[in-house]
Amino acid sequence: MPALPKDMVEIAIKTGASTRAQVTTAPRFKAGDKVVARNINPPTHTRLPRYIRGKHGVVQHNHGGFAFADTRAHGLGDQPHHVYSVRFEARELWGDDDAARDAVYIDLWEPYIEPAA
Amino acid sequence: MDEHTHTEPPSEPTLRIKALESLLVEKGLVDPGAVDEIIELFEKRIGPRNGAKVVAHAWADPGYKKRLLDDGSKAIAELGFTGLQGEDMVVLENTPAVHNVVVCTLCSCYPWPTMGLPPNWYKAAPYRARVVIEPRKVLAEFGIDVAPDVEVRVWDSNAEIRYMVLPMRPAGTDGWSEEKLAGLVTRDAMIGTDIPKVKA
Amino acid sequence: MNGIHDLGGMQGFGPIEREENEPVFHADWERRMFALLNLTIAAGQYHVDEIRHAIERMAPAEYLMTPYYVHWLHAAEDLLDKKGVVTHAELEQRMAELAKKGGK
Repeated sequence: MPALPKDMVEIAIKTGASTRAQVTTAPRFKAGDKVVARNINPPTHTRLPRYIRGKHGVVQHNHGGFAFADTRAHGLGDQPHHVYSVRFEARELWGDDDAARDAVYIDLWEPYIEPAA
Repeated sequence: MDEHTHTEPPSEPTLRIKALESLLVEKGLVDPGAVDEIIELFEKRIGPRNGAKVVAHAWADPGYKKRLLDDGSKAIAELGFTGLQGEDMVVLENTPAVHNVVVCTLCSCYPWPTMGLPPNWYKAAPYRARVVIEPRKVLAEFGIDVAPDVEVRVWDSNAEIRYMVLPMRPAGTDGWSEEKLAGLVTRDAMIGTDIPKVKA
Repeated sequence: MNGIHDLGGMQGFGPIEREENEPVFHADWERRMFALLNLTIAAGQYHVDEIRHAIERMAPAEYLMTPYYVHWLHAAEDLLDKKGVVTHAELEQRMAELAKKGGK
């Protein structure tokens, strides 16, 4: 691809590069579902942080389909998946000693989560 | 750890970048005019004043506020703020019961169209490591004392959705113009590490 | 990968250091690095996911001790070399030429 010319810079910035993508399968999860983040430890790229892996949370919302970072980073294609906003209680993440009634919200591509009891 | 981020770097990066730029230009991959243009855009034209306008408009117009919370990208686009690193926006409302704060623990994701480029502290290790595990301590460092009955929600922008906080409108601002209201909205307030207030 | 970038929940990092009236860019090299990375993305050389992973592969100590835009430089150099677009050798040579000319 050639260089982006000066007079196209502003329009390119204002347009951006959304990674929203059509997902052909029906969503596995919906708001209110109890899920557990998978314990994956790939040596390759992932956007599932260690502090979330194996933890239990509740799906809040389906953001829609997005290209999957884990595959895109390695030239393995977009492979779109549904991305869910999931809530994790502070006590679940950091232990019962955590006094807080606080929570972390994080966006998880469908392959990152499994149904929980 | 951060003392290196605003002192003079070793000359190596300067020379490396100069070399890289000259090669990229020679190979026709980068237009020198575009370099200047994109710098100007982000140094002068795109910044948190954009987000402040969004917040002020939401404070002044309940219909807009509802649209903003329903579909952040669409509502923000009404004011002309769109594009790179803000294609998919969600706006988080602070209420008397909930205080929201945004981070990207894995790197530095941040909503550029409404807030420009993030400050160093947002991108550096201490904030990214600490705000998910001890948000109240972090907020206290920023001068915010969150009451025990208020829930703190930390939003980790690990995917492509970008988050912006809609702070509560401070008391004592009845009848203010949107321009005056926008003047109260700091960048940190839209990250969640500040609370807008009317100066005495 | 379980890299140093995956910082959520780590302890021992001390206070959050903030700069009063921090400028968008602290130095000209930061400005130019910002521009170069974004423009090479626009030129289709790579995209954000590849860049993030390149940064994740930095040596942990280097990641923590270098200024932010040095991470971007690392990613650009690494990916452009891997893709054969701008090799490390070419870069070293150009640096030597520029240094000789006295350009810093």
